[in-house]
Amino acid sequence: MRRRAAGRLIAVVAEATQYIQRHQNNSTIPDRAMKLTSRYSVLFTAATALVALVGCEQAPAPRFHLNPVVMVSNEISPEYQQEVANVLAAMFGTPDAPYALPESGLNQQRLTLAAGAAWSDKQGVDRGLYRKHCVHCHGINGDGRGPTARFLNPYPRDYRQGVFKFKTTFNPAKPTDADLRRVLNNGVPGTSMPSFSLLTESEVDALLEYVKYLSIRGEMETKLAQYVYDELGEAEKEDENGNPVLDEDGNPVMERPPFDPATNPEQGEVVKEILTEVMAPWQEASDQVIVPAEDGIPEDNRTPEEIGESVAKGRELFYGTKANCFTCHGPTGLGDGQQNDYDIWSKEQKAFQDATAQLQESIVSQQKEIARLGREGKETDEEEAKLAADEATLALRQPVAHSFYPIRNAIPRNLRKGVYRGGRRRLDLYCRVSAGIAGTPMPGVGAAAPGAQGTLSDEEIWNVVDYVLNLPYEPASNPQPALPWNSDQIAN
Amino acid sequence: MSSNAFRRMCTVFALGAAVAVSSTAAAAEWGTVKGKFVFKGDVKPEKIVPNKDTEYCSKHELVDESVVVGDGGELANVFVYLNPGRGKKLEVHPDVKPADKPLVLDNHGCRFEPHAMTVWTADKFEIRNSDEGIGHNTNASMLFANPKFNEQVTNGAPILKQFTKSESYPSKVACNVHPWMNAYVLIRDNPYMAVSAADGTFEIKNVPAGKHDFAFWHEAKGNLKDLKVGKDKADRKGQLAIDVPAGKTVDLGVIEITPALLGK
Repeated sequence: MRRRAAGRLIAVVAEATQYIQRHQNNSTIPDRAMKLTSRYSVLFTAATALVALVGCEQAPAPRFHLNPVVMVSNEISPEYQQEVANVLAAMFGTPDAPYALPESGLNQQRLTLAAGAAWSDKQGVDRGLYRKHCVHCHGINGDGRGPTARFLNPYPRDYRQGVFKFKTTFNPAKPTDADLRRVLNNGVPGTSMPSFSLLTESEVDALLEYVKYLSIRGEMETKLAQYVYDELGEAEKEDENGNPVLDEDGNPVMERPPFDPATNPEQGEVVKEILTEVMAPWQEASDQVIVPAEDGIPEDNRTPEEIGESVAKGRELFYGTKANCFTCHGPTGLGDGQQNDYDIWSKEQKAFQDATAQLQESIVSQQKEIARLGREGKETDEEEAKLAADEATLALRQPVAHSFYPIRNAIPRNLRKGVYRGGRRRLDLYCRVSAGIAGTPMPGVGAAAPGAQGTLSDEEIWNVVDYVLNLPYEPASNPQPALPWNSDQIAN
Repeated sequence: MSSNAFRRMCTVFALGAAVAVSSTAAAAEWGTVKGKFVFKGDVKPEKIVPNKDTEYCSKHELVDESVVVGDGGELANVFVYLNPGRGKKLEVHPDVKPADKPLVLDNHGCRFEPHAMTVWTADKFEIRNSDEGIGHNTNASMLFANPKFNEQVTNGAPILKQFTKSESYPSKVACNVHPWMNAYVLIRDNPYMAVSAADGTFEIKNVPAGKHDFAFWHEAKGNLKDLKVGKDKADRKGQLAIDVPAGKTVDLGVIEITPALLGK
């Protein structure tokens, strides 16, 4: 017991020393670092004394976890998972010490301010902002699975697909910094995402940088897993001439090429390429901003008649098949149209669950088939090998499939409430209608890319915006309860 | 520079030239790969009862198209495509040209026509809505390498797209208004791909002679892992190395697909 406590003491002291050294290295003001050092040595002496007395375990440093859906659906073996994690750690660091890879264009200073444990320095500067403000919903991985997430509706965003809904860019484009900043400052009305407008500008900037960091890291993880699946994996060993190498019994020799870009220059190139692929859309985001034609923007000083005319046109479009808003938002705009669809985050999980259920069914029918063949006295070796492989896959998939929160449908917005998640400025609504909402069933009706032709003209989109803004005040001619028919699923 | 180093450099150049010559010589020769898929099991295509635009869509006798089988078990919509490996380009036969007109994916009769198709990045791709007075959207948010999109398509105003990158697998395209509607589009930066027709057959012409990996994919399962093709077996990625001799046609014969292969 005593020896264990002593071991812990040594570990804690070592960690404290490292911590202090890190701070000394990072700090630009040496005397401040000295103060920190003395303050921390006192603190850590106290802490170590406490550990020696009470013997409590120190909480392990938080670390990033691999995305189980990506790993299991790409059939990444435990060895490769470890290697992917190593590569990600080398590129992005840890939640306590994130690394802004120069190629990623991320800002190290902002990341450092946002990352790590939440504390305030002597000057009152808050550190560890992500863990202070965001982690309990968005999770340490940015997977939207923090401890509070389960109880929220809608669930917090999973950043790892790199898709964001409320932005001023074209549908497939990334959000700009200004877009992310707007969401942080305003929150997302109608959801649990609050406004962080009380934070300083530099704190908000640090957080938006960290959100980008988690997204880029998540996208990188998915693409690396796909690369490992596509290009690596256990394979038959081949000699220089491309012929299979056989063992003494004439069976092909298998080999597993490790995923280690640090020692394999070819893999190093691939990882760089993938990073470029992931980064390019982030870097191009500011070229992808939707700019409504100057002459099409409605005047501020329109007469009630002019507004009424525009609302009437918008109404016609809303209930017509050209804009087709009513099919989802419902015949009275209550959001009671198409309600059994999913957004991409739910779809990813649903597809995973469905495939798992299908595999389970297939296993049952394979067992029956093997029994039948057995009764007929036929060979079943091959069938049994496949069954065993499928059972092993199922064993990997089931715990992941069961780990999801209840999957919810994407319910179209009830437009009579006057609550707009992406902001209530006319420009916000224009962007939602024109580009659609990325990741959701909501399609765009405007140009899909700079210079492209949209289904609706600029003027028509402004008409729809006018009508949508007018909808909460329009008497419902045939009032209906706003309850969606699948409310039981929502209640879950 | 020492004379030794110079000589070494010359050798490297000479080698490079030799490799270049041999590769053009090899690529000037072409072969064909063909075959036929037959499903060894029963499929009863489930009827679809439309819950949107019911009056119009009900007229079209819609069925689930995830496994489309002919009377003799002929399996349609199996994708077969050459996979040269990451970042490797293939030469294209001089006669193989992109289509003059865009390849069309039509929203027609409350389904996508065709249900499965291939698009070479040199081709143009057009999405239409031929259902008069019916609103459709085309949601391609499952694209991986190319920009995702989700757009409203209206009558008489097709959407034109041009892709630039190869997707590793066929991508699902859906209409959110009519949740039963989906199609699969394979986008590649080479023309060496095919979808099996209603009679289960496929043919890929003008393949550069040599040994290539071919991928086999079906929407019900994805990669056709362990697919048996003649005496050979596809690997865990549903890929098989096939030797394509110059001027010859490799007939893979009848390729049997068991229900277990499609996860049934």
